[in-house]
Amino acid sequence: METSIKDSQSTLKSSSVWKDVTDDFMLATSDLQLGELLHDSSFGLFEAMSAIEMMDSKMDAGMMCNQIKRKVLTFEQSIEAGRVKITDVSCEDKLGIIDSTMACLVTWLEGHSLAQTVFTNLYLHNPYIIEDRVLKAFSICMLKIVDIIRMRINIASVFEEEDFQPMSYGFKMAFDLTETRCLGMMKEVEEELNKTLRSTRTKPGEERNEALEKEHNLTLALYTRIKFYRLFYSLLVLLAKEKVVIEGIPQVIKLLSQLDELIQSIQPTIQYGIQPSEREATKNDYPTIMGFEPLINQRLLPPTFPRYTVIKDRDESIVYIKQLIQHLNIVTSLPDVISLHTLIDMFIEFSKSSPCVLARSVLQLAVLPQNRRIYGSHTVIDFMKETIRNFIAPPALSTKCSLYNNSQAKDYVDALLNQGVRPIRNILEITGHNRARQRDKWAHILEELSNLQEEADKVDALLHGILVKTEPSRNHLACFGTWVLYHSLQAMIHYTLAGFELELYATYEYHYVYWYLYELLFAWLVSTLHRADNFLLENDMAADTSQKGRSNKKNKKKKRTKTLSKEINLAQAQQQMFGGYYKALVGFRLDNKLTVPSFEFDCEEVRYSHRFGPFVNVITPPVVYYSQYKEMSDLRRYEPGPTAIDMYDVSCKCFHQAKTLFESIPSPNEEVQSLMRIAKTNFVVMKLLVGGHKKESLVPPEFDFSQHRVYPIIKVI
Amino acid sequence: QQKTEETVTGKQKLQRWLNKRMKICMTDGRTLIGIFLCTDRDKNVILGSCEEYLKPPESEEKEEPRILGLAMIPGHHIVNISIDEHDKTVPYNLDMEVS
Repeated sequence: METSIKDSQSTLKSSSVWKDVTDDFMLATSDLQLGELLHDSSFGLFEAMSAIEMMDSKMDAGMMCNQIKRKVLTFEQSIEAGRVKITDVSCEDKLGIIDSTMACLVTWLEGHSLAQTVFTNLYLHNPYIIEDRVLKAFSICMLKIVDIIRMRINIASVFEEEDFQPMSYGFKMAFDLTETRCLGMMKEVEEELNKTLRSTRTKPGEERNEALEKEHNLTLALYTRIKFYRLFYSLLVLLAKEKVVIEGIPQVIKLLSQLDELIQSIQPTIQYGIQPSEREATKNDYPTIMGFEPLINQRLLPPTFPRYTVIKDRDESIVYIKQLIQHLNIVTSLPDVISLHTLIDMFIEFSKSSPCVLARSVLQLAVLPQNRRIYGSHTVIDFMKETIRNFIAPPALSTKCSLYNNSQAKDYVDALLNQGVRPIRNILEITGHNRARQRDKWAHILEELSNLQEEADKVDALLHGILVKTEPSRNHLACFGTWVLYHSLQAMIHYTLAGFELELYATYEYHYVYWYLYELLFAWLVSTLHRADNFLLENDMAADTSQKGRSNKKNKKKKRTKTLSKEINLAQAQQQMFGGYYKALVGFRLDNKLTVPSFEFDCEEVRYSHRFGPFVNVITPPVVYYSQYKEMSDLRRYEPGPTAIDMYDVSCKCFHQAKTLFESIPSPNEEVQSLMRIAKTNFVVMKLLVGGHKKESLVPPEFDFSQHRVYPIIKVI
Repeated sequence: QQKTEETVTGKQKLQRWLNKRMKICMTDGRTLIGIFLCTDRDKNVILGSCEEYLKPPESEEKEEPRILGLAMIPGHHIVNISIDEHDKTVPYNLDMEVS
């Protein structure tokens, strides 16, 4: 379909001989019974279902009422009719055309089709016949920009149908012109415009000439735009280089800073270009300026229900571009990232800022270009090894250990790490998708991670067996296993927390969700991190003691370079938050402030099992079935049973502990600071409840997610 | 020969046309050309690989059709139907169902 739609051969073959069979047909069909279908056995109802119904306005985009009455002219026809100018184009016209094209570009990036956005600009259909040099250069440059963006987003493959439509409808995008030629053309017109700028500048001491000033300002607006698109294209070309992170970052930084400056100058001049006239927009026929025809590509669109694309406002579009440039800055912080965990954390943080599909794709490909090496240079395995060393220092990866040179041990380790490459790449990819789609993908990856974890445990056992023979004082238990478990748990946590972000859970579900996070997921995460940290401590020291003897006494108080204390504190803090929520909910239920739903056919076990369904595929940690949950959370285990006030009290302590832990994190980012405030607020609310505040009120408490989509502020009314 | 003509039922006539290229002119002036796949008593027709022409195919201007894929034309919107006599495709297997 891709390249052939526009040039499709008409099936009106000259060899067709049409025989009118209308009367015969009408007569023949009356032979059929009511409800009887006549068809070939290879055609079934399932296929019939997907047929579009003609003459139904909701499905038939070609119907008269869905068609616009006026005549739609092509680029060449419009030129001939004098409607579109390719020469003697005024500055205002050019500015308007450039800015409208930008708005179309942004609309495309927001998920609409090229046919209904960028290619509504007729100039782009055949830029070679444009005589105006500025417009010609810009049109060609825009085609190249669209082409490279489309290519990069396609390769990165972190988009879904709602994010992006890659189809190019067979439009030619100046393939025969090289990057260099295109950039050269832009530079030439830029320089011409610069000459005009110099000659229209008001010289000191001279009288102000309004007409000259206006010309100067318009030319300046044009100049900044041409420069912007030239540098933007250069940036995209640079970012497409395989080793951009290793070799190209200084240039990227320079380009981004120039682009940011240029956008600042362009923004206030958005009104300079010609604007579309004010008139009512109907069914895809919105008012435009010269050179734009919204309906030019109607026939190319796939036969679905009629789709109307509203082109984004120019002011909003420029804001979008500005934000895109800012998001692209993320690439400049990559050279400092040498740990996989830091990389994953960075990707997750980036994802939280809801970057557009282009920014996400650029980041993905900068880190994992097509040669499948990190930054185009390091193998994923090498990266993994370095990260695992810093996480848990397995003896098998330590150069100072006998295992390192044992060929059998090396084989085990290599095989395991090879198996780990795909899930690790998947984790990086998952974070590159739009946030709404990530939850499903986290669920999907759990089984593979669980299998990897089993494998890792086996490898650990084998390595341990080899190790104790040569170094009986050391062990190799649960090293790789712990590392994989860490990622497994993170995936489970992301899956669960995504449920809050997507607002999937009803309030009456919070109790088991918070319980699972508090008692299981984060409990395991904390103990996993502790185990890694302890192992790190032992083995870092073990590596040192195996060297010099005497200097050891002086080294005993040496500060640990490798530690997971920040991760541990963060995990514990989060665990306490969820504990606080869970206990508060138990208290609310005891106080009859929260009702359990009782709609027909509702079954809490079914809901619970559905929420945690993906965890069934995970071996470690084992899934907690509903019956176990009920048992473990049963208040009757306590003698005497706690009252609501007791629960508010323990909840209060949890929030307090969380606050303390958050405060211990060095250089907290915005999110941690926000969590600190939320913990503090909830602490106060629970304290008030302990004191009997609103004891009589049966109004259900509110969970306010305005400060954070996962950690609400509890409000008692 | 005339005798053989009379013994061909309506159903058989329709069956012979299955999987052949069919041209339908609709009440709004559009012409659809596609593979005849299904019909019923109410003369609703399903065409496969269907193309839509806005102008009658006899007109001078060469028109690029819009590709529709699978399309259903309600019987009451059909003005006339033609079959491509040069199309020698035969139905794969015949089946008549009561839905």
